[in-house]
Amino acid sequence: MIVVISVVAWLFIVVASLCLVVGMALLDRGRIARLQTNLRRYPWELRREILGLLAVLAASAVGRGALQSVSEVYGWRATGTIVAIEGQFVAWVQASLFSPIATRYFSWIYIYAYVFLLVFPVIVYGSRRTPTTLRRLLVAYALNYGIGLIVYTIVFAHGPRNVMPDLVTSLLFTYNPDFQELAAQVNENANVFPSLHTSLSMTVATFAYRTRGSDPAWAVLTAWIAVSVWIATMYLGIHWLIDVLGGIVLALGCVAAAVRIVDPDPRGEDGSVDDAGTNAE
Amino acid sequence: MPTRRQVLAATAATAASGGVSGCLGAEKNVAGRDQPSRMTLTITTLPADSDPHAIRIVRHLAEHLEAVGIEPRIRTVDDAGLYREILINHDFDAYVGQFPSADPIDPDALYSLLHSSFVAEPGWQNPFGLTDPAIDDLLDRQRRADHEDRRRAVAELQDAVARRQPFTVVAFPDMLTAVHDDRFIGWERTRPATSEGLLELDANAVVGTMTDDEGRDGEPTDEEPANGEDRDGDPTDDRRLRLVTTDSRITTNRNPIAPEHRRYGTFTGLVYDPLVRAIDGEEVPWLARRVVRVDERTVRVEMREAVWHDGEPVTAADAAFTYAFLADTSLGKAETPIPSPRFRGRSTLVDSATAIGDRTLEVRFTDAAAATQRRGLTVPILPEHVWRSRTDLVELPAGITINEMTTEAQVWENPDPVGCGPLRFREAEADERVVFERNPAHAIAAEPESFPERVRGKPAFETLELRVVPSDVAAVQQVGDGLADASTSNLGPDAVPRIGREAAARLVSQRSGAFYHVGYNTRRVPLSNPYFRRVLARLLDKAALVGSAFQGYARPTASPLALSGSWLADELRWTDGDPATPFFESDGEFDAAAAREALREIGYRYDENGALLVPDSAE
Repeated sequence: MIVVISVVAWLFIVVASLCLVVGMALLDRGRIARLQTNLRRYPWELRREILGLLAVLAASAVGRGALQSVSEVYGWRATGTIVAIEGQFVAWVQASLFSPIATRYFSWIYIYAYVFLLVFPVIVYGSRRTPTTLRRLLVAYALNYGIGLIVYTIVFAHGPRNVMPDLVTSLLFTYNPDFQELAAQVNENANVFPSLHTSLSMTVATFAYRTRGSDPAWAVLTAWIAVSVWIATMYLGIHWLIDVLGGIVLALGCVAAAVRIVDPDPRGEDGSVDDAGTNAE
Repeated sequence: MPTRRQVLAATAATAASGGVSGCLGAEKNVAGRDQPSRMTLTITTLPADSDPHAIRIVRHLAEHLEAVGIEPRIRTVDDAGLYREILINHDFDAYVGQFPSADPIDPDALYSLLHSSFVAEPGWQNPFGLTDPAIDDLLDRQRRADHEDRRRAVAELQDAVARRQPFTVVAFPDMLTAVHDDRFIGWERTRPATSEGLLELDANAVVGTMTDDEGRDGEPTDEEPANGEDRDGDPTDDRRLRLVTTDSRITTNRNPIAPEHRRYGTFTGLVYDPLVRAIDGEEVPWLARRVVRVDERTVRVEMREAVWHDGEPVTAADAAFTYAFLADTSLGKAETPIPSPRFRGRSTLVDSATAIGDRTLEVRFTDAAAATQRRGLTVPILPEHVWRSRTDLVELPAGITINEMTTEAQVWENPDPVGCGPLRFREAEADERVVFERNPAHAIAAEPESFPERVRGKPAFETLELRVVPSDVAAVQQVGDGLADASTSNLGPDAVPRIGREAAARLVSQRSGAFYHVGYNTRRVPLSNPYFRRVLARLLDKAALVGSAFQGYARPTASPLALSGSWLADELRWTDGDPATPFFESDGEFDAAAAREALREIGYRYDENGALLVPDSAE
């Protein structure tokens, strides 16, 4: 446990510094000022979305063990089918990209950049005039986790590092066993389909694409990190290609649903707060 | 299925081409026949996190299966799931796993493993579903025979098993442990992951005093492996043995008779005491003070004075109850007896056990040679006042199907086990940790002089904490960081080199009797065909696997008795390659053509794409 605490503390420091640096670079003074006012209003204004997300996260934390037991007994054993479909794709990804620098880069992406990617949108969208996008983002996060948990229960499969260790090295965990302790605290190794790393990064990337008109730099940064995360999940031997594709589909579905569920804020001046607007690109 | 499609297409083409009436008869004949389908074979095993070796054997086999036109399907399940599917539901084609004994086995252990009378029972009782009169005869013969007769029967038995290949022995692995000598020593004397091994450990007297001084210090940083004495918030516990494992089953289930939850039964083996304990191949009277032979079939056991962990006295009635209970966990309530799925082979050696005094037990054996009979005394003794109320029948939750009725005793989690052994249960957190403590009332402490020297006054620890870690690599890291004294689960090729890089950790290697094997479900086509199983066995390059999956820490074998001393049949001794089922190879490479030819020779056929076809009328 001591090990895990030090890993979490380090993660917090790195992500907070990233948020600070990127925030200074991307947001002008006006938006930072607005962020400060919004941060006082939004927790109450967005309480339904926030509580909804927290409820899903709590259900995941509390119910994961029980659902895992259900999955162990009743779940569809999908490992063999996945291997039959995609074969050695992940082994190929790892072999073609392998280098010590790539391992460092993708490990860094998988842990730090990923958490940054989930946290920073709160700053970007919290500094907008209306909370619509932030609302939709929170709803999409909750949907991702909720649906992910259900699919995890239905599908029982292990990732490439667990199934073809002769071809795919468990790069992240072999070089950083502490991360595995951390991962084991928040997930089970039989939860691979869909890849929530992929779906959440795709969710953020999709929103960033929709707001590329007002935040072009953020859209580019997000696309870069999101694609890196997808490759990282496979390069590190954690997920199959099918998990990544499943994550992308899940994300698109969740974003579409969130946009449907959350109507644009009536205070929005031009009705296109969420969309790219006229001056895209 | 291209074959079928092609046939249908051809049929349609013929019909379209005109000569309808003349061809109908032939078409009817074609359509009416079952079309052979391509063969797929599912191999069930544990993921690399749980067993780094098994999955590598599966991959090796899968690759060669593919090369001979059989489509492999790898099915990974969790620990309890694997054994539930294999041992209880018999729902598998083939599996790769370990035999559940860390010590080399007595030939009689094959009795319950292979005898056809156990074919419907759950547990390590003939999970392969083998029903072979010749093997049954040999199993019976070795049980009754003595000395040279038994040796001959055992040799013949091994030969018969090798020819029928209900399972393929791959290799005997070395039991590898990463240890940290700071607190406890003596790891190399015995097998550290066994009950007896843990019992024989010694406290490291030198460092033991040093740790007192260190207790005052502040938080040690986990960057300093050399003196990383972590208290984990419990500074009073000085003589605490800290073990790490990837197997979390003991943290949720401590039932000594539940086969899907026990590996070797290392910890339940220390909570529950047998009458006689086998230590390094020697039979040591344990809960028994003395065993006196009455006649050919009967012994009288004088038991020590002992108490259960809950304070009740241990009596001969408990022991008599145990034997009746192991033979029928419903104690007569069920239509047919429901024997305990663990200790089954040994419990069939005992015909009856009767209490003839408070601490005197008379045990009558079944028809077995005296040397074999004694194995019947090594089963754990259970408290009657706890288990009698568990003899009712239960309906299992849906999904776990079982081909007979089940008693509560078999599915009970036994959260707070009451035994009379040298360790007693203290606490557990599911999937995190379990803690046992020394039982000060045990005879090993009260009258140490009546025990052999190596276990006298043991265990050397006050408490034993077993923590669950996510993988073998994480286990080594914990030992290297000084957060654990030893790892008890298997260490794979990613973990072993790591030990050398950790200054505080050391690799200890011991031979293990828990041989890796590929088990076949002989109830299913095509695995019901012994010739087919022999071809499968020949797809395994055991010697190469020892190098790749075990990093050389194993020995390839052809017999389950390869480590059982002189019991190993001469013909099955590994010399330069597999003596029974030699690997298909030419010039050091897998010879797929030879394997395909061998399959054709035993009557199998291929389609035009080179896929092996399931023989007609399959399943």
